[in-house]
Amino acid sequence: MSPDCAIIGVGHTKFGRIEEKNLLDLLSEASLEAINNSNTGTEDFDSVYVGCMSANAFNNISGIASALVDKISLLPAAADHIKNGPASGGSAVKAGVQAIKSGMSNIALVVGGEKMTHIKKPGFITSNVATITHPEAERIHGISLPAMAGLLTRTYLKKYNAKLSWLSDIAIKNHRNGTLNPLAHFQKSIEDIMKQAIKKGKGNWKNIQEFLTDDKMNPIIADPLRLYHICPISDGSAALILCNADIAKQFCDTPILISGIGQATDTHIIYEREDITTLKALKICSQQAYKMAGISPHDINVAELHDAFEILEAVESEDIGFFPKGEGAKAAHEGLTEIGGKIPINPSGGLKARGHPLGATGVAQIVELYWQLQGEAGKRQIDGAEKGITCNFGGFGNNILSFILERMDGN
Amino acid sequence: MEIKRMNEKIIDIKWKKCKNCGFLQHNSHLRCLKCKKDEFSIINPSGLGTLISYTILNAPPMEFREKKSLALGIVQFSNNIKALGQITRTNNLKIGMKLKPIYKEICDNLDGKKVETYLFEPI
Repeated sequence: MSPDCAIIGVGHTKFGRIEEKNLLDLLSEASLEAINNSNTGTEDFDSVYVGCMSANAFNNISGIASALVDKISLLPAAADHIKNGPASGGSAVKAGVQAIKSGMSNIALVVGGEKMTHIKKPGFITSNVATITHPEAERIHGISLPAMAGLLTRTYLKKYNAKLSWLSDIAIKNHRNGTLNPLAHFQKSIEDIMKQAIKKGKGNWKNIQEFLTDDKMNPIIADPLRLYHICPISDGSAALILCNADIAKQFCDTPILISGIGQATDTHIIYEREDITTLKALKICSQQAYKMAGISPHDINVAELHDAFEILEAVESEDIGFFPKGEGAKAAHEGLTEIGGKIPINPSGGLKARGHPLGATGVAQIVELYWQLQGEAGKRQIDGAEKGITCNFGGFGNNILSFILERMDGN
Repeated sequence: MEIKRMNEKIIDIKWKKCKNCGFLQHNSHLRCLKCKKDEFSIINPSGLGTLISYTILNAPPMEFREKKSLALGIVQFSNNIKALGQITRTNNLKIGMKLKPIYKEICDNLDGKKVETYLFEPI
């Protein structure tokens, strides 16, 4: 029987605009924090997996995994750079878990990161990210990821008679959660942003929803989606130390198990899907993860979902099994996904407020769950959290990973 | 409609019908997404297209920034072929409206090549 895989330490840099550090600095900072946090300081690491989407295009660096092990003195550990679009972090974690469960590795470092905010050329990042779309059926027409989310949003709102303001409610929640996470990119609630704008004489709005329909304060980016429905670009890195669960307690009193993993793909061309409002890859991969962990969606206490666009949090909350189809946005509007709600989603602030340094996100989601299950999530702690799930979204839903974490017996 | 290709030729709407199971899919697939066989007949769209979703993109990728805004839509034809493309106007768009493909250059430099392809014009 293959060994279980446990997390024995984590690291997480501040996410946001981090001008003074380059990509390798960020990866090193998160990695060393995780190493120190796991008490593996001078241990030999077997393998290192680095998730990063566009190091060549954004940072003009090749071979970042090799550079990292040299910089932080993990030689001669095996080192790989894992690229899978915005799911690069999740794929790196999967590679690390596979290394532990196969017995090829006893202690592995997984780190994800991206450095993006220094790029000033208008449309460059949009264009680079758009290269993950279908080259002939989508990209040549000028599509971007926000445009895809706009198409999905319009279809979803019409099909399920949902309201755009319900998606704004998701942004409001995630910004509010972000204020409870000192490492989040955004540290202000939308209410505070509105109050500040009123103070500066930029306008006067009756409430947050009215503020969010002001074209100047919240411009339309990909109709009907506005700026606040879309995550920022960010710099940052997050890291995990994975370990054979049999030896995990040598390093950590309360290791956390990665008890379920799933990954699935869907058509590259979004309009070839039977229903663009259903993320079939997420349905499949989350079912794989639930089956491996031997649990169901009802057992989950906290979720970190990939809200690169707020429509995605709504759709993912349905396809991961929390709400019936078409009811995810309404559930968020009704407060069911708040901290303290029926199923808290993105207590970290999610991609919307924690930020989205592409390759870091899949790892950061797991770091947040680690803190939640350890009871170390501070002001955003979900009471009694024992099991959590993630959704890390690659491409536009055509390559999705899901991880289930739970406290080990006897914690 | 003449079928042509990037740079020297126009990119048109072209799908494949699997000769084994009849499944319809985009021309780029080498095997059937449903039964995995590899013999196809080529299918072109028939009739007018119906707009099934659209967006107005106000922050296009850098190669498409000659225009401040792009309208992009998913269109379905009467023989169930679908296509995504730009729409010739950004106002008065409505799901369910009818459109027809027209052809022109929409980008002068995408990876060093011109893109000549279809756009959708509301009827």
